[in-house]
Amino acid sequence: MTYLVQQTLLYAIPLMIVALAGVFAERSGIINLALEGIMIFGAFMGVLFVRMMQSTYWIEYASSHKGYGTMQLLEILTMLFAGLCGAIFSLLLSFASINLKADQTIGGTALNMMAPAFVLFFIRIIANQNTLQMLSGDSASMFMIKKTTLGFSKNDDLGFLGNTFLHKVYLATYLCIIIYVVLSVILYKTKFGLRLRSCGENPQAADSLGINVYKMRYTGTTISGALAGMGGFVYSMTTANCTSNGDVAGFGFLALAVMIFGNWKPLNIAGASILFGLFKCIAAGYSSIDINGDGIYLLADIGVSAHLYRMLPYVITLLVLAFTSKNSRAPKAEGIPYDKGKR
Amino acid sequence: MKKFLSIVLASVCALSLVACGSSAKGGSANGADSIPDTMTSKDGTYEIAFVTDVGQLKDKSFNQGTWDGVKTYANGANLSYKYYQPANGAEATDDDRYDAMKAACEGGAKVVVCAGFMQGAALEKAAAEFPDVKFVFIDGWSLGLDNVAGIAFQEEQCGYFAGYAVVKEGYDKLGFCGGGGGTNDACCRYGYGYLQGANAAAAEMGKTVEVNYSWQYGSSFQASPELQSMASGWYENGTQVIFACGGSMFDSITAAASANDAYVIGVDVDQSGDSDTVITSALKQIGNAAQWAIGKAYDGTWTEIGNNCSVLGAANDATGLPTDTWMLKNYTVEEYKKQLDDVINGKIEIDNTSYYDDTITGVNFSNLVLNYQ
Repeated sequence: MTYLVQQTLLYAIPLMIVALAGVFAERSGIINLALEGIMIFGAFMGVLFVRMMQSTYWIEYASSHKGYGTMQLLEILTMLFAGLCGAIFSLLLSFASINLKADQTIGGTALNMMAPAFVLFFIRIIANQNTLQMLSGDSASMFMIKKTTLGFSKNDDLGFLGNTFLHKVYLATYLCIIIYVVLSVILYKTKFGLRLRSCGENPQAADSLGINVYKMRYTGTTISGALAGMGGFVYSMTTANCTSNGDVAGFGFLALAVMIFGNWKPLNIAGASILFGLFKCIAAGYSSIDINGDGIYLLADIGVSAHLYRMLPYVITLLVLAFTSKNSRAPKAEGIPYDKGKR
Repeated sequence: MKKFLSIVLASVCALSLVACGSSAKGGSANGADSIPDTMTSKDGTYEIAFVTDVGQLKDKSFNQGTWDGVKTYANGANLSYKYYQPANGAEATDDDRYDAMKAACEGGAKVVVCAGFMQGAALEKAAAEFPDVKFVFIDGWSLGLDNVAGIAFQEEQCGYFAGYAVVKEGYDKLGFCGGGGGTNDACCRYGYGYLQGANAAAAEMGKTVEVNYSWQYGSSFQASPELQSMASGWYENGTQVIFACGGSMFDSITAAASANDAYVIGVDVDQSGDSDTVITSALKQIGNAAQWAIGKAYDGTWTEIGNNCSVLGAANDATGLPTDTWMLKNYTVEEYKKQLDDVINGKIEIDNTSYYDDTITGVNFSNLVLNYQ
């Protein structure tokens, strides 16, 4: 059960934060198809940052002296850096779709195609191959919080909750949940959030009340870029051993599906991403899932082919979208470039 | 606004350039790491070429081990060298591999080292087209061409040593993650030897050993989140050691191992320097074999290995465990040395006939509980 919860969270958190990135862009009226590309870019920049920091004195010192605090600080810094890079990268989309009034889906697709090419080009130069790794060690030994990190001894039993949420977890998981809650509140409970959402529903009306639609849309897309970039790095750190290879396994697109399934609402999105995370976890670890701890691995014992389990996350995506897309309500003005003169 | 965009682009480029600046750093204790992977020859031709298998050049394993040998020879003999990675990465076709070999030959190569059994078809075509170029076919077989030297290893031996050692050490829940999806002969032999070794040790100690045996998620020898999740699950349920048998799959498995304070057995080269979780490595001397074969091409003794397949094993000092760096405590170097001798002089026979997955299921291991996944 612990395994199930932990692995589900590992897959669900990046999905959740990137789906929220999609919400911020679309609520302001810009379709951000570039989530995948921004994730790839953010993951690359994050891994690169870690790699460069690893050769500095204070990180070398911390890794040889078990300086867990320094490592967590590095993790936070890297998340911020990846977010910053994602934000900068997303400006390309904002510029094309807000200032040049270009078609947003095509702009997003262009970024999706550009990101892996760009990233692989530089990985080739830096590492002579297709994957950028950390200089040494692995992400679990650097960033993961374990019992021993928190001062418990190896044999202490922390109970179910302690074992699940304090042992073998990443700080990033909790940070992402906090960021998610804070940003959702901002989007729904503040003046700024209301203005942002109004630009995605009826920008003309918003403009008539003195809201600068261009500025709002820039803000929305930039927040979106920052979240997606950060999500990209979190994905790469927690599930891909802090490597970057110009690919995030389609998580950006999956996040789009989660966003649509969640009807552009934070609470529904959180639920949807946990659902997809669960199926991702089942797909990879079905043979080790023991729900009530009695030593019986039900999913492996049924004798269903492993391929079926691996198809599940995608089949579920298709099914769920087929049944829920009828009720989905996208922001009204999304995808339409705002033109002051048009009524 | 244009100005703004240009600032954005410039900053993106600047960040990336900073990135390039740090590329020269790093490198471990391994001597071959100090030899650069790319060099520029004066006349633009490269005498010794290396064509990689699927997976990364720096996979810390098969490709890298072979490449280290190639580099070391070329550097020592002051010859120009270059590596070629077939296009399309994990989906490389025979045509892509042939193109890489052709590029190597047209780039002035006199010796081309090709790593991996998948190169066979491409090699046949390239070697016939360039009869003056000598080809070394690692993990290969004889192609019936004078300019091709196949080199194969008895991987079942080092797999056997590794399996025997960890069970003797006291572990009784093992795992095996193989690359190539169960179609790569070398990985299959490793796995089969590993099972036999574990079984032999378990029988001697009179206990039963559980082994999870999987070919999932490694068909292209790449690390993947799914593989990491699967290995994590195994460790979570008590598996103590996983044999990571396939190039970059190693990264996913060590990540899972260090999250769970468990152990990994490395493959092909001594991987103890790459992760603290490596308890030992099933070693085959691909680097030395590559150097040995290239040497034959230069000292006029090529005919000894050309049009032939040299099978190297413990008797040639080509398979074994690295005793200097292993973390085993209960299983001693003396015991290992004795076992090594027994394998060399034939006292211990290791079967290498039925190593494919579907035939392994027919083999009866007296003291193993096998979970095929």
